[in-house]
Amino acid sequence: MAMSHADGSMVRIEGVSKQYDGEQGTVQALDDVDFGVDTGEFVCIVGPSGCGKTTLFRILAGLEPATAGEVLLDGSRVTEPTPNMGIVFQEYHLFPWQTVRENVAFGLKKTDVPTDERERRVDHLVDLVGLDGFADSYPKALSGGMKQRVALARALAIDPALLLMDEPFGAVDAQTREMLQGELLEIWEETGKTVLFVTHDVEEAVKLADRIIVMGKNPGSIRQIIDVDLDRPRSRTDTAFGQYYERIRELI
Amino acid sequence: MATDHQADHAHTPGTAERSGLDVDLHRAVLGFGGLLGFVGLWWVASLFQPAFVLPSPAAVAETFVAEAASGEMTTALGQSIQHWIPGTIIGTLLGIVAGVAFGWSRLLDDITAPVVRTLRPVPPLALIGFAIAWFGINNAGAAFIIAIGAFWINFYASYGGVEGVSEDLLDVARSLGVKGDLELVKSVVIPAASPEILTGVRTGIGRCWMLVVASEIFGVPGLGRRILRASNNLQVDVVITYILVLSLLFLLVDTAFRAAQRRVLAWR
Repeated sequence: MAMSHADGSMVRIEGVSKQYDGEQGTVQALDDVDFGVDTGEFVCIVGPSGCGKTTLFRILAGLEPATAGEVLLDGSRVTEPTPNMGIVFQEYHLFPWQTVRENVAFGLKKTDVPTDERERRVDHLVDLVGLDGFADSYPKALSGGMKQRVALARALAIDPALLLMDEPFGAVDAQTREMLQGELLEIWEETGKTVLFVTHDVEEAVKLADRIIVMGKNPGSIRQIIDVDLDRPRSRTDTAFGQYYERIRELI
Repeated sequence: MATDHQADHAHTPGTAERSGLDVDLHRAVLGFGGLLGFVGLWWVASLFQPAFVLPSPAAVAETFVAEAASGEMTTALGQSIQHWIPGTIIGTLLGIVAGVAFGWSRLLDDITAPVVRTLRPVPPLALIGFAIAWFGINNAGAAFIIAIGAFWINFYASYGGVEGVSEDLLDVARSLGVKGDLELVKSVVIPAASPEILTGVRTGIGRCWMLVVASEIFGVPGLGRRILRASNNLQVDVVITYILVLSLLFLLVDTAFRAAQRRVLAWR
């Protein structure tokens, strides 16, 4: 299970900046981004396109280096992708040559988890995301929503301390998105994972997060960090929900 | 040579394979009709030509049966297989290994690119001198010529396949704990590139049957040698007979491989 620190701050993003050297000179994609995420917390990063949130995601995941600053996960510096972090992309990126079950088991095969325990865990996860009837199907036979469920189960399989998600529900239809949001919250409550969720959808952020990191562009930086003090399940027709929504819309 | 390579590709359709049974049957009927039409044209043309220019289909059929009955055909077939099989297997394996390695490693690619571009346009036939000098007039020499042909097709197919592997899939694999080049190549690169790699293998198998004739040009016995000898004696019926044998062998191996390929790539 995830290690936790005495102060509870599991992820620290410290003064992260990113510059790209383009043909029209240097572009400041991220400027001094600084925040922490506590163990078990659900944090959303929300911002318009071009605010550098995908760049920030890639730096957090260890897929890209920061120009300045650093990312600390459980106190150790993230410089490359680590199994301590489960990553879910918008475009699923399932391994198309593997069945649902094989996809979920992919990361586990690289660990020293014994075979029977591995099998049990995979069964449980396939069940958890509601795909028990499709365990032996290939990704080509699945809908977008189902693919994203597989991607989520695959990320959870290695039992990461942190679940890092980049617009995971951006490629599915509205109805499926709503369903997946509900399922993600259930899984989050059941597993107690720490979730860092990137989205451009303000409503989604208000619906899901304990805390919202609101980002703006030119350069990409934090505008404000907002605690969402609403009981779950949250309804967008709720007055307080609308107030959070409006407040964030004005910021970005 | 480059156009040659593309032409080979055109002969191995990848998309039509998933059509339904009805479509398959429809195509088979049409194909059979086309075949009948071709033989008919051949027969009509043969009526106006002496037999040493174009023998009739019936004459060729007669020769075919005679060659088969005399055991000449099976002997030649047995001889050709002795270099076709090792040549194809060795060339295919080396081509895949080199293609995957150079496609994956930027460093290896940079080092080898000039050499590869220099060697690539050399037709296998031009290497007969080396085949004789290095291996002699024997199966090894002929296998060498065949292997060269298989090598390049598989090299480029694998290289292209590896280049096309999505960077995102590699990122996912890394985040799931896959470490190091060898592990990434094994668990992501090769499976992701397998459709292209297998298309290369299949194209290579066909190309190697064509090279059987070339590989026997310097005296190694087999189907190709038989064709060349018959050509010198103007026995066009024998030439056509052995061309048919090569075609049938190709058809047999290609059909078997295609079936295997479909099973392996069921996920597509």
